[in-house]
Amino acid sequence: YQMGVKELLGLDKLAKLATTVQKIGGLRAALKQRYLMDVTRTGTLVGEDKFGNKYFEDNSYFMPRNRWVVYPDRVWLDYDATQVAPEWHRWLHHISDETPTTNPPKNEKWVLTHEENSSIFPDKKYTPYATGRTKIQGWKPQ
Amino acid sequence: MALRSGIKLSGIFSGRAVVSTPVASSRSNYKYVGMPAEKDGTLKGDLDYGLNNVFFTELFRGFGVMLGHVFMEPATINYPFEKGPLSSRFRGEHALRRYPSGEERCIACKLCEAICPAQAITIEAEVRPDGSRRTTTYDIDMTKCIYCGLCQEACPVDAIVEGPNFEYSTETHEELLYNKEKLLLNGDRWEPELAANLQSEYLYR
Amino acid sequence: AVMHRLGRSLVARGMQASRRGNASNAPAAAPEKIEVFIDGKKVLVDPGLTILQACALVGVDIPRFCYHDRLSIAGNCRMCLVEVEKSVKPVASCAMPVMKGMKVKTNSELTKKAREGVMEFLLVNHPLDCPICDQGGECDLQDQSVAFGSDRSRHQCGADGKRAVEDKNIGPLVKTVMTRCIQCTRCVRFANEVCGVPDFGTTGRGNEMQIGTYVEKLFATELSGNVIDLCPVGALTSKPYSFTARPWETRKTESVDVMDAVGSNIIVSHRTGDLLRVIPKMNDEVNEEWISDKTRFAIDGLKNQRLMQPMVKGEDGVLRTTNWEEALFTVASKLRQTPADEKAAVVGGMADTESMVALRDLFHRFNSELLLTEEEFPVGATDFRSNYTMPDGLAAVESCDALLLVGTNPRYEAPVLNARIRKSYLYSDVEVGVIGGKTDLTYDYAHLGSNTKALDDVTAGKGDFAQRFLSAKRPMIIVGAAALKGDKGAALLSKLQQLADKIRTSGKADKDVKVLNVLQRLASQTGALDLGYQPGTSAIRKRPVKFLYLLGADEGAVNRQQLAPDAFVVYQGHQGDAGASMADVVLPGAAYTEKDASYVNTEGRSQKGYLAVAPPGDARADWKIIRALSEVAGKALPYDDIKEIRGRLSEIAPHLVRFGDAEETSFESTAAAVSEKSSSPVDVDVTASQSTLADFYMTNAVTRASATMAEARKAALKEKDNEYTETPKKHAHA
Repeated sequence: YQMGVKELLGLDKLAKLATTVQKIGGLRAALKQRYLMDVTRTGTLVGEDKFGNKYFEDNSYFMPRNRWVVYPDRVWLDYDATQVAPEWHRWLHHISDETPTTNPPKNEKWVLTHEENSSIFPDKKYTPYATGRTKIQGWKPQ
Repeated sequence: MALRSGIKLSGIFSGRAVVSTPVASSRSNYKYVGMPAEKDGTLKGDLDYGLNNVFFTELFRGFGVMLGHVFMEPATINYPFEKGPLSSRFRGEHALRRYPSGEERCIACKLCEAICPAQAITIEAEVRPDGSRRTTTYDIDMTKCIYCGLCQEACPVDAIVEGPNFEYSTETHEELLYNKEKLLLNGDRWEPELAANLQSEYLYR
Repeated sequence: AVMHRLGRSLVARGMQASRRGNASNAPAAAPEKIEVFIDGKKVLVDPGLTILQACALVGVDIPRFCYHDRLSIAGNCRMCLVEVEKSVKPVASCAMPVMKGMKVKTNSELTKKAREGVMEFLLVNHPLDCPICDQGGECDLQDQSVAFGSDRSRHQCGADGKRAVEDKNIGPLVKTVMTRCIQCTRCVRFANEVCGVPDFGTTGRGNEMQIGTYVEKLFATELSGNVIDLCPVGALTSKPYSFTARPWETRKTESVDVMDAVGSNIIVSHRTGDLLRVIPKMNDEVNEEWISDKTRFAIDGLKNQRLMQPMVKGEDGVLRTTNWEEALFTVASKLRQTPADEKAAVVGGMADTESMVALRDLFHRFNSELLLTEEEFPVGATDFRSNYTMPDGLAAVESCDALLLVGTNPRYEAPVLNARIRKSYLYSDVEVGVIGGKTDLTYDYAHLGSNTKALDDVTAGKGDFAQRFLSAKRPMIIVGAAALKGDKGAALLSKLQQLADKIRTSGKADKDVKVLNVLQRLASQTGALDLGYQPGTSAIRKRPVKFLYLLGADEGAVNRQQLAPDAFVVYQGHQGDAGASMADVVLPGAAYTEKDASYVNTEGRSQKGYLAVAPPGDARADWKIIRALSEVAGKALPYDDIKEIRGRLSEIAPHLVRFGDAEETSFESTAAAVSEKSSSPVDVDVTASQSTLADFYMTNAVTRASATMAEARKAALKEKDNEYTETPKKHAHA
């Protein structure tokens, strides 16, 4: 690979930056992405789940960085790793290459919608409780 | 300094000074593996050494490496947008699964409770009003659990599984003492992924 | 695990074998021992033994399913096959008697191949139920397939399939999943031989063989729960216990049962303070290997209607919960205020000896001697132990040759004793005569009448049975405690003592036979009488009692009308029943599974029970409550822990702390001499109150609180309408 002048001065990288910003949707969008995600990158949109998370892929990046999720604007900075839907969770974690768009899951009627980790919401968080019956019944005098 | 003098003094160390007995063979087959000489005695060498010393040459070399890295792609994964690779065998948060009809799979055989090395599982069972064998209490203390996966190996009906979720941290300890409802809920939420993982794994189990 | 019990029962069998058939107790000439070689080891055995028993003597356990040492030999499971030299085929060791010079190889290739083959056959039709089967973890089939089976099978399940059998409904106590049955016929033999209820049988043959009652019938016997222990697989399991626990997670504590006076040894299974089930512990002298259904299934009454907090009756006349200080102070102040002769204590049927001695000492310190038991008994007769215990012992019915039952239905009052009588009936020529109700006792007997006037006929020798009885070598009279009520009861007891004395002095009976035995109905009665309690509550009615202390007394022997109008009643017990409803202060005590206690059974044998689970709520062990009460009342009792109170027991009567042994009684003739002799016959009908299975189930506070017992009673009552039930008119001998 011969390095030309452009490569030496790094001008091809600047050109790539310009195309990236353009693909993201302009300077404002790129800055917003920088603010929310600390990266400036584009990828092909693989799919979107019912919560509004968008899933992107770009295999020119190396292995764990080639698939990412963009959380919807309504969560803004309250994005959480657990907001990812289970069907996409599999793809995002590189467990399999099949996405729910190519291989939709056959969900039975009892499958619940996914919820994020609610430990920080005091009204929604799970507190343990006994599920068995009381063992000894006392006598109640009449 | 001691090292340089080591070369000069190697003659001294080579046997003569240490032993008091006069019958010491001079050991001269040392291979010296210390730092390379900074100066080799010639004028050019000395000049090189001095100029490097004054102008912090190695620092600028370091800067250059850094500058190179600034333009390199970092290896850091941008969590929570990008996630690390897992396998379908990954053992994470537990879940209790159901049959496709909605019937819970767990038949209270207590094999998982027996095999758990940490005794994290507590089961109480009863006859359900329709006559079948089901649990009334199925607790997993996630803080005792060592995530070995023996319970999912032991289960004859694939009721208890270790799902791929590891992002369930809590703010209090008590939230990690999962009871049957919580586990079933987990199972209902994660079923698409659990089923897909099992589908890819069942031949090896 | 059947195997480890074989050795002990062999001794019993040996004892039984030597008495079988012959009425004389002269030691039979020791038979010439035969030498047998088992795996190369030479052993000398008695000639009547089978190879399996001979191997057990050496310590070699041969796997088996159908063989059980208390049932007849069937030989149909074929798991016990061993190689015997000079025999082409392997031999069923449970059925083959030893012969001189026999060389048995229990580890040879042929034996191993036979075992693997039998196991493979058994597993062909056995369903894959282990995760849902209650017997998992304690299943003979599981254990033996791991130890002796092969790791693979030639059965093509997909092509040939497995047979399935319908479940049979035999009642609310025993759950049946007949697909798991391996047709060992242990239940069939048990029902036929030990229970005397020939309802179980086999239908069909070969692959189609099914075990059941043929028509849908309740398994109507008071020993029905024992098939649960007998069945080697999960075909017959306990319905109340179903699905609750696995054996590896339970802890087992030995204890003694208090549902009847036999004092069956039990093992209480529990887990993290939760009582799960009761299974029998083998004790050849008391209960062999059986326990009655009440013992086994009434324990869910211990989780219902429990007294968990001390209660004091408030101003509005309603009991409200309080703490121990208030309750004890209230009782102590009343105890101090009431004059000595207006205080009384009544002890119920499940009280332990320790709490009874503590109550006695407390009352004595307050100068009161009015310590009574709920159950009645002739008051003057409690001076001699032989008058209220079974001096011959429960096991003596096996060597008995003439048995007279007076006013008792041992089938429902002491089912385990009845099983022994039936065993004696099957294997020897014992003659049984009954003065009392004419019910099915599972053995044939000569019914002499239900009025005690018939006793005079027996004494005079009128009738076949009387002739046989008076000339027997080992006669026995068992009289039920229920027949000995009031003056007529006292007269009856005197009559019986005269009869027994006559037999002892006639010279025909053996010297060590005591003849007269009293079968108590309550677990605490013998202990109470040993400690000096007065039987019967008639003394309360003779004077106004202002302070009444009820220790578990729930049978309603005393009610408010019999006391002074402003009487203060304290109830200490563990169930909320009649006694607690009547009380002004309720002190929650511990049940028999929740305390270290001892109980004296009807033989006079003191047995120790250990604490299995903790008493619920604020309840405490009974004797500790009385000890605390004594401290609060100002006259502290001198014992602080179980050792000290048992030391106190040994001061009163040393036999109370010689646990597990029955002391010999020695004053029978004196007792007979001091009893009132009268020539007129006693005229009272002594038909026992329990005559059918439905009467068996609800007899004390625990069984009344138990849902299982209620279901069993309902099923037994409904069974009367079943057109297929029949009472056998004659019971065959073995």
